Amino acid sequence: MKKLIKNPHLHFIFLGLLLMIVPKLAEMGLFKVSYVTTLGGTFILAIAALGLNILLGFSGLVSLGTAGFMGLAAYLSAYFTVDLGLSFELSLILAVVIPTIVGILVGLVSLKIEGIYLAIATLAVSEILRKTFEEFDFFTGGFSGKTASYPTLLGTYELDRAGMYYFVVTVLIIVMLITYNMMNGRLGRALNAMRGSEAASQAMGVNLLNHRLIAFALATMYASIAGVLYVHFIKYSYPSIWTLKLSLDFLAMIVIGGLRSIYGTLLGAFIVFAVPDLFLKQIPFFSEMSYVLNGVLIILVIIFYPNGLINMFADIKRLFNKLSKGEGK
Amino acid sequence: MENLNGLVLKVDALSIAFGGLKAVDNLSFDIKENEVFGLIGPNGAGKTTAFNCITQFYKPNSGTLLFKGRDEQVHDLQKKKVHEIIKLGLVRTFQNVELIRELSVIDNVLIGAHVDFKSTIIDQAFRLPRARREEKALRKEALRILGVLGIEDRALLPAGGQPYGVLKKVEFARALMSNPRLIILDEPAAGLNDSETIELAKLIRKLRDELGCSILLVEHDMRLVMDVCDRICAISFGKFLAVGTPKEIKENKDVQIAYLGIEVEANA
Repeated sequence: MKKLIKNPHLHFIFLGLLLMIVPKLAEMGLFKVSYVTTLGGTFILAIAALGLNILLGFSGLVSLGTAGFMGLAAYLSAYFTVDLGLSFELSLILAVVIPTIVGILVGLVSLKIEGIYLAIATLAVSEILRKTFEEFDFFTGGFSGKTASYPTLLGTYELDRAGMYYFVVTVLIIVMLITYNMMNGRLGRALNAMRGSEAASQAMGVNLLNHRLIAFALATMYASIAGVLYVHFIKYSYPSIWTLKLSLDFLAMIVIGGLRSIYGTLLGAFIVFAVPDLFLKQIPFFSEMSYVLNGVLIILVIIFYPNGLINMFADIKRLFNKLSKGEGK
Repeated sequence: MENLNGLVLKVDALSIAFGGLKAVDNLSFDIKENEVFGLIGPNGAGKTTAFNCITQFYKPNSGTLLFKGRDEQVHDLQKKKVHEIIKLGLVRTFQNVELIRELSVIDNVLIGAHVDFKSTIIDQAFRLPRARREEKALRKEALRILGVLGIEDRALLPAGGQPYGVLKKVEFARALMSNPRLIILDEPAAGLNDSETIELAKLIRKLRDELGCSILLVEHDMRLVMDVCDRICAISFGKFLAVGTPKEIKENKDVQIAYLGIEVEANA
């Protein structure tokens, strides 16, 4: 029993079940129905942020291109399902594979450039993609955007908003589990080693080229999955969504939540995306301030919780243990 | 290819130049199986460059490097990429301990087994039985090695924050994890105090005797070198000076001149 409680995989599944209750609560009238959309959107962004965390947190490679790749996948999936009439499953696969190939090409570039230059290069790729979204209007609908519908799974199960929410939570939990497994195994150690010291990791047999490409492939794959989910959950895509601000938001999520922390990424997505929407909008003055809030939060977190807000829970637990021990005396 | 009779590494006429500077010039030596071999020389003699050539961090301009791998085959090291070297059974440690602070001690050690994993990324992502079994077995092996070094109680602690002496041992453990035939130690005594250096000397002998691997020691600390090495090669300004037992090296004229800095008349 104790073993079961401590099993990290069960923690993820339990979290998933917990998140699945939300639409039920909304039905019962405890939440506004729009909260389901906000939370679903948060989880979708958390998937993309997890990919960036693999890239930046574990591998130490910077990317400001997350938004561009996510947007590309969103448009592709909308185009495949609406214009070409492909099934959701097939368009999901295609809309993940195509951006991933582009991501791997960027990974090749990362062998030559590093740090701030890599950030600029990925930003350039992202901006090129955004410009493409504006100009190629036969494919993207230009400035007026592109709409998609809730997907039909396996040709039979038509999803509505709640159904799509369950689907998003399921994908999120699967992605978290896979990420956990990979990052706590050989691949995670190799990526960590690569971040720590290139020379040492090479001496230990880590092939830098392979592992950089794997890191970029995973990051774009996650961003693409998020893009596909986004366009079928929010049901539209405009060029102005996939801007530098979104890429910076992803960066904010993982820095605020916690680099290299899976739960931290989810917490970060919640703080950066859901908190302004759910709480700050109720307060008149703060509704305009969410952008500023992110900046202030990043600074505060870097100063007080350099490993992310997720460590706050460990600290609270420690404090609690200390207090309860004190009472025992 | 040449059969390395009883040798594990044969360095022949190794040369590398950076611009006009000949960092290593026509250097030859060989290391026998089960031998502790010292490479010494004054600052800037080219010791580090020489072993960066052996481990393929630098590609030498000329010379041959033959190595008898853990598969009992003789390999030409220059045909290998830097990350392929460890798989042959040749592993190095770093002068200023290159570990990952955020990972636990045992995870750091497991990095040494990177090339020994056979399960694919898919196996790992879905934690299929094959990946689980392999991870478990290698984790056990890592614990055993930490036990040999007497630090198994720290296995689950993060590497960052461990004392320097422990970190050195963790790096040792990581190198041993790859089941090497030859370990290159880059100034292992740097930053250690006297008692730690004595302990290190014991450890080096233990590695040779119990694990049967050879050790190439690149070191400044003369006491350690004289204490543990079976044979020593002395170099100066990239050139070979002498090779022999510690006693022979101590008495060698060229070595004394190189170390004491007496001008050689013939050079003037």
